[in-house]
Amino acid sequence: MVISGLLAGVELGLNRVLRLDSTALPRLAGLAGRVIAVDCQKPSLQLFILPDGEGLRLAAHWAGEVDCRLQAPATSLLRLATSREKTAVLHSPEVELEGDSAVLLELAGILQDLELDWEYELSRWLGPVGSQLLGSHLRSRASWTRETLDSLRLNLADYLSEESRSLVGQREADARFAELDRLKLALDRLDARVERLAQKNKPIA
Amino acid sequence: MNDPRKNEGSEPTTHFGFQDVPESQKAQKVAEVFHSVAAKYDLMNDLLSGGMHRLWKRFTIELSGVRTGNRVLDIAGGTGDLTKQFSRLVGPTGEVVLADINASMLRVGRDRLLDRGVAGNVKFVQADAEKLPFPDNHFDCVTIAFGLRNVTHKDDAIRSMLRVLKPGGRLLVLEFSKPSSNLLSKVYDTYSFNFMPLMGKLITNDADSYRYLAESIRMHPDQDTLKAMMVEAGFERVTYHNMTGGIVALHRGIKP
Repeated sequence: MVISGLLAGVELGLNRVLRLDSTALPRLAGLAGRVIAVDCQKPSLQLFILPDGEGLRLAAHWAGEVDCRLQAPATSLLRLATSREKTAVLHSPEVELEGDSAVLLELAGILQDLELDWEYELSRWLGPVGSQLLGSHLRSRASWTRETLDSLRLNLADYLSEESRSLVGQREADARFAELDRLKLALDRLDARVERLAQKNKPIA
Repeated sequence: MNDPRKNEGSEPTTHFGFQDVPESQKAQKVAEVFHSVAAKYDLMNDLLSGGMHRLWKRFTIELSGVRTGNRVLDIAGGTGDLTKQFSRLVGPTGEVVLADINASMLRVGRDRLLDRGVAGNVKFVQADAEKLPFPDNHFDCVTIAFGLRNVTHKDDAIRSMLRVLKPGGRLLVLEFSKPSSNLLSKVYDTYSFNFMPLMGKLITNDADSYRYLAESIRMHPDQDTLKAMMVEAGFERVTYHNMTGGIVALHRGIKP
């Protein structure tokens, strides 16, 4: 009952979020009637996902047939939920898929393509002027934060490679890698030449 | 089954809460209760169960195994909580029939569902659970949630449900039952005989209907008795799941 209650709360919140994307619900409607079982191995937990045109239904039990079963440890499931490249996680060795994997891949695709219109949801509560003001403020803050983080990353990389010399710089590393590649090619050619000479000088039986 | 209440030359009696009434009067009395509470049924359900009825119904849906294209009968469907979910599950190719013996409840349920855009695959039928007006082997799943205890002849109703189910179809009976612990039972008795009629008086100005609710729950067969009734009617693989310490139980049987 506790898990059912938690799932009901998550389902309510999740479907609200899905409604913020203009294409998610029509795409989910295409998966109506399909059942996906998620078996979490560590900790042992089972969840059933039933997509339809109104969103996702999450169930702790399901007595009917299942179209697709996904078995994975919690860490992989967490990566699947948060990663932008969900298909890469699905192909990792600790993840097992049974049944019609197209259903799961389609659902993963829908969740990966989500573009949530937060501003529309805000405007329902704050009105158009308030949401525009708050939206532009949040956007400028987000842009400033992004630029600051980029700048910090570049400065840190420059400091570590050029000033403290703790790390090799990108260009220097590229030059060394190119030399190694050339050396590897030369060795391959030498190897092939030695092989050819050995064949040529082999006594005819 | 022999009914000890039957006396030669007089009309057999049945219970209406803690009272014994002639069988012909029970349906009328139950109807009066539901006519009285229909308008505020959902509000009272949420208040009296603390919202738990939503989780009990959710579990019922999960055990129903209903799929796209199935035909489902929701008996005593009341305000349509289960019907709404079944309508989503069966999709446009399936069908859900919301049946209730009480016209007021059916009207409230129909209006509520239509207001929420649930239409197209839902039908509304005023029907008596003991004499279901549907062909044999017609439904994939039949549910009756918090309705069986109000039925006069429960055995007849269960047999009628068996008749309309397809072979392999499921009957789900969600109903108040007997708490599994004595302590919980005492707390529950105090709650239902004192708090429930008081809330009924305050909100619907009708304490008697909620007193009947508490009494009818006590008179309803416990988990094992209801299971035996379903087996006797002809169901197979009958199981039940206690919820909230046995205050509510979900029985499930399969038609062979």
